[in-house]
Amino acid sequence: MESKRLDKIPEKIVIPLRQHNGFVCEALVAKGDEVLIGQKIGDSSEYNSSAVHSSVCGEVLAIEEAAHPDGNKVLSIIIQPSDSEETVPFTPAKNPSKDALIELVKESGIVEHYGSPTHTVLKPRDKKIDMVLINATASEWIGGKYTNAKEYASQMIDALKLLMKAAGASKGAIIIGKDDSESIEAFEGVEVDGKKLLVAPLVGKRRLDHYFKDQESNILVASQKRIYGKNILNFFTYNVTGRKVAIDQNPTDVGVAICGVKSAKALYDAVYEGKPYYETVITLEGPGNCPEYMLVKLGTPFKDIIESCNPGEVGKIIANGVRTGVAQYTDEVPVTKGTTKISLQKPEDVLRDEAEACVHCARCVDVCPVDLIPSRLAVMADQGRFDECRQFHIQNCIECGRCAGACPSKIYILQLIRYAKNAIGMAYEDLPAKESSNLKLGCCGGE
Amino acid sequence: MYTISAPPHKKSKFNIKSLNWSKIFALVPVALAAIYLFGVPALGIILASMITAVVTEFGIQTIFKQKVTVKDGHAALMGLMLALLIPPEAPIWLPVFGAFFAIAIGKHIFGGSGSYVFHPVLVSWVFIRSAWAGPMTPLSTPHITMLSELIIENGAGLLVGASPLALIGGVYLIYKRYVDWRIPVTFFLAVFLFHQVIAFVSEIVHLVQEGVLNPLLYLASMFIFLEVPGDISYAAIGVVFFGILFLATDGPTSPVTKKGRLIYGLICGLLVSIYGLFGNYVDGTLYGILLGNCVASYIEIKTMPASFGQECWLEKPYNRIVGIIPSAFKFEVVTDE
Ligand code: SF4
Ligand code: SF4
Repeated sequence: MESKRLDKIPEKIVIPLRQHNGFVCEALVAKGDEVLIGQKIGDSSEYNSSAVHSSVCGEVLAIEEAAHPDGNKVLSIIIQPSDSEETVPFTPAKNPSKDALIELVKESGIVEHYGSPTHTVLKPRDKKIDMVLINATASEWIGGKYTNAKEYASQMIDALKLLMKAAGASKGAIIIGKDDSESIEAFEGVEVDGKKLLVAPLVGKRRLDHYFKDQESNILVASQKRIYGKNILNFFTYNVTGRKVAIDQNPTDVGVAICGVKSAKALYDAVYEGKPYYETVITLEGPGNCPEYMLVKLGTPFKDIIESCNPGEVGKIIANGVRTGVAQYTDEVPVTKGTTKISLQKPEDVLRDEAEACVHCARCVDVCPVDLIPSRLAVMADQGRFDECRQFHIQNCIECGRCAGACPSKIYILQLIRYAKNAIGMAYEDLPAKESSNLKLGCCGGE
Repeated sequence: MYTISAPPHKKSKFNIKSLNWSKIFALVPVALAAIYLFGVPALGIILASMITAVVTEFGIQTIFKQKVTVKDGHAALMGLMLALLIPPEAPIWLPVFGAFFAIAIGKHIFGGSGSYVFHPVLVSWVFIRSAWAGPMTPLSTPHITMLSELIIENGAGLLVGASPLALIGGVYLIYKRYVDWRIPVTFFLAVFLFHQVIAFVSEIVHLVQEGVLNPLLYLASMFIFLEVPGDISYAAIGVVFFGILFLATDGPTSPVTKKGRLIYGLICGLLVSIYGLFGNYVDGTLYGILLGNCVASYIEIKTMPASFGQECWLEKPYNRIVGIIPSAFKFEVVTDE
């Protein structure tokens, strides 16, 4: 799988001091300082935070609030890059211990694309992790960084072992997409400790536990239907392991740590090459000649990426997918550790539909992967009947947007559901803190 | 300048308009068959009904200063469906009044598109059928005697009876997933297996009463399902298929839950069969579905799905029984926590 490297050096690089949902970092540099590639420029003493590094050589222009792709403004370090490629010295870690690994993850700035710093997933406070999953269902191989599929597969296995070691978990699995023949081919027959692994299909009640027994291995590769959405972790955990996560908890409460391909790769690089997390691969989609994947430095403004593919006039820029992503009001926003995809739409393709009355066609019910009745939830959310929404399990919604996409009446079901979920989140304290969201509500004591 | 909006940023092209117009197109063959069979009066009825429906909707929405939605095809669809349920001999004012009644009372009094509880066409049909029983009674009750009559009927009662086969468009809609399969399938099975089930049950009861102990005889009574009962010829008529494919599948008057739709189809099928058994299948279908409408929302509430990962109503008793069995008898993989 090919991916292109963005060759052009952007005019400026914007590195937000918060690229996860924990605490914001403090800047370690000041205006006018020179920085090198891989230099740590932001850090925090809080556990729930992760360091940030410069992805270029250059001079710090300013430290100020700048637009962030989640829709808010975040304190960011703005760097004017030079064309030097000088890096700080990278020292690979030699056989690090469990605690050294956790420290390394935090120091290297590795965070999950869904927002949590990876070390808080691997080593949550007061909880024990016994299984690590790498969710590779939605992800491309980190294109360009691998010469062939086998290399990808064996590196992922190595990364999984590192993650398991860091978490102190005895079991681990890589989950790939059922219809992703390229990945299945890559992993079929991959060797772990001298044993060949077969890709185990997760169907019906056959979950991981079955295969751990069946293949007599503590490391597995399993395939299942792709799940996407903004809030999939609990559902994913249930599907893969059969462990039911309560609504107000997250997978670490049942001993499962979920990592992405990107953080796995970042950890691999950090351990074996000593490189911190300052580059990422994103997926591109849109008119013009967009390459499918592009290797970019963190902090590159969307503008430079978009210009490199000559899309013509752009009507809408969407970060992280057309189904659930956030539309951007400016192209100055940078690529962050949470950015997976940039989608462009021509002005004439931008949707402008008006919602009509629900005709109870039940399409939304048929497409919902978690068995909700979105039409009913939308009506109740609209009328502010949040308690009833809760009775109908609105918290299970994985925010995949399928319902709103399928609705012939063009009702903004997903938006209404999020509205209700947010309101419920504010009203009940037993629910987890909301991850960063670009919705600000004028309801129930919201900001 | 970039547009910002809430996700999703891409939706299916399918909308209300295409939903309604696709149904109208699916009904065109049967309308043509009716015109072919009954001639100009059929054409007059169809046009009168459709035009009145559209004009009524336009009028009501203009008067009450609502957004005019005649273009979405819903009124036209209602008009066409009503016309198909009128006998060709009916005077022309009958469809005109019927269509007005369907749109004004059946649809808009209940809150318009998507809000009505009873199918407007059925409401209106029942009203004109009771008010003007004479002209609304077809000259003959259709009944299939030859296979060719599935293609074009001879003595069909209502316009829709002209050709049961011409309703194939409805099947195409299901195939294309414009219409969900659950209601039509269970409805169809209920109607067409009803007699076999009754025959089977009475056979078993009969055997039990005679004190037969040979299990083979009981098994043999299963063969009843292979016999085609004579009553089927009364059921395989246009209006029954129309009911299954077009009336019962209407969104607002049927449950939205998956299980609910299966049950709804079954209940409609039973009601239609019972009516059909004691009366005729023409009235039976229409009254049956109207009664089905009454219980639709009850079914919907009773079949709300549980949270994922929780047991459903079938699993609950199953797990309870499994829980009693000592684990030595089980073949499950036990986890090694
Ligand atoms: S309610 Fe809609 S957004 Fe939520 S899980 Fe179901 S289909 Fe997805
Ligand atoms: S898809 Fe839209 S119109 Fe159909 S039932 Fe759901 S909310 Fe209503």
